[in-house]
Amino acid sequence: MTSSALSPLEQDVAKLIVQTLKLKVDPATIDPTQALFGEGLGLDSIDALELSLAISQSYGYQLRSNDPEINAIFSSLRTLTKAIEKNRTK
Amino acid sequence: MPDAPLIGPYRPDDVLAWEQGGPRTARQFLSDVARLAESLPDRPTVLNLATSRYEFLIGFAAAILRRQLTLLPQSRASQTLRRIVGDYPDSYGLTDREETIEGIESVSIQLRGGRAPWPGEIPGIPLSQVVAIAFTSGSTGQPMPNKKTWGALTGVAHATGSRLGIKGGDRAAVVATVPHQHMFGLEASVMLPIMHGLVMHAGRPLFPADIRSALADVTGQRILVTTPLHLYACVTEGVRVPPVGLILSATAPLSRSLAQQAERHFQTEVHEIFGFAEAGSVAQRRTIDGDQWRLLDGVRVVQDQTSWMVHAEYLPAPVPVPDRITVDAHGMFVIHGREADQVNVAGHRVSLGDLNQKLLEIDGVQDGVFFMPEEGADLVTRLMAFVVAPGKTSEELQRALRTHIDPVFMPRPLICVPSLPRNATGKLPRESVSELARQWLAGQGHDA
Repeated sequence: MTSSALSPLEQDVAKLIVQTLKLKVDPATIDPTQALFGEGLGLDSIDALELSLAISQSYGYQLRSNDPEINAIFSSLRTLTKAIEKNRTK
Repeated sequence: MPDAPLIGPYRPDDVLAWEQGGPRTARQFLSDVARLAESLPDRPTVLNLATSRYEFLIGFAAAILRRQLTLLPQSRASQTLRRIVGDYPDSYGLTDREETIEGIESVSIQLRGGRAPWPGEIPGIPLSQVVAIAFTSGSTGQPMPNKKTWGALTGVAHATGSRLGIKGGDRAAVVATVPHQHMFGLEASVMLPIMHGLVMHAGRPLFPADIRSALADVTGQRILVTTPLHLYACVTEGVRVPPVGLILSATAPLSRSLAQQAERHFQTEVHEIFGFAEAGSVAQRRTIDGDQWRLLDGVRVVQDQTSWMVHAEYLPAPVPVPDRITVDAHGMFVIHGREADQVNVAGHRVSLGDLNQKLLEIDGVQDGVFFMPEEGADLVTRLMAFVVAPGKTSEELQRALRTHIDPVFMPRPLICVPSLPRNATGKLPRESVSELARQWLAGQGHDA
């Protein structure tokens, strides 16, 4: 497995991101190590808020930006998926 | 020349701000300000990009004491900052992190602990002193400067406070989700608390769980200064929050149903402020009471040939209202929508002409237009853009555009087209772009 292949949960999270934010991107083509915000997918803080609601509804994980690791969590699809895996309640 | 004190009714050991989990008293504040003021470079203008609301305030107050103007950029996008630095080349930057701003000297704000001396007297600032410049988007692609005097900022703070029944010495705490460099943020989350002797929370919570913990940081009566977006998130998430005494929302229209839900969820009144960078806060309403706005005391709207103008003693000249409004005999008014060229995305107002201009500046773009779809069921309605740029992909154009405009205005999606439906005179009627968008959205199901 190469570093750019998506795990099943990564695929689900990628779909959730694309659907929630109405991106014109094929979820399967998202590089899991690419930045989600700024460069990369170019998301902003409103996207972060919308995404946090979708993540909370789908996985029961409430994001917090004063979490010392928030930048790490949001740095890529892979890190976000890892955080969901660790904190999900559903 | 009349002046007004730098801060309102605080006793030396009253808490003025809640910074990273710890209180800062009025005594410490004045000492922080005096020390920073001494060390600031001798320049006319300062770009204050501090992320902590308290450190922003220290920088703002220190600059005021040094009679320097604080520049308030609409965003931190590198291009926005470059343009402002280009227009004000003698500026320096103030930051609270190891952050530098391209092309100018940066000073970082340092706080010191320990007990500070009380200066005995709070400094007075002339009401006519210009203390800040808020930038708005003009139709030419250049940021338009709006000068703010100390009289305007303190006038709005007192008028807002008296309308909302906030009394000096209430010791309520203000928690805000809005940026302090934004005009509403500066007025409601910085000036409102410091003019009334309240506690200002230095954080800027984003997610519902953050808002809950910021509210829990402070004690006593709480005032939440926020936007419809954050209220929607809190209501949807159903976060349990400590009791809030008052909610103040602005930057985008709040629907009555969301206001009702928010009043139930937070067990408090939700008030809205109507304003815009050129005039500051202008009117207030409790959203569930109806769609009529009531002007703040001291503010009048007068119709001239083309539009309604805002008059206030602290405004050097009347300012046109950027929305279409109808005003009744008592000065109450209803808002019907934006003037043609203006759109609002998540509380950020921009001129479509400005965005189109920036689009056309991109290498390889022959023609292009931004379009605001009708508001739908989404949380935020985003702009879309149609671009004629042979040989360029949508991704390439997005990348190039990103360095020129605030991320919130990035088109979702940017669609490459062979040509735009310009009419015989070269004009692009809104109806034609609207039809183009309708056709594109209708065809969406097939080309995905």
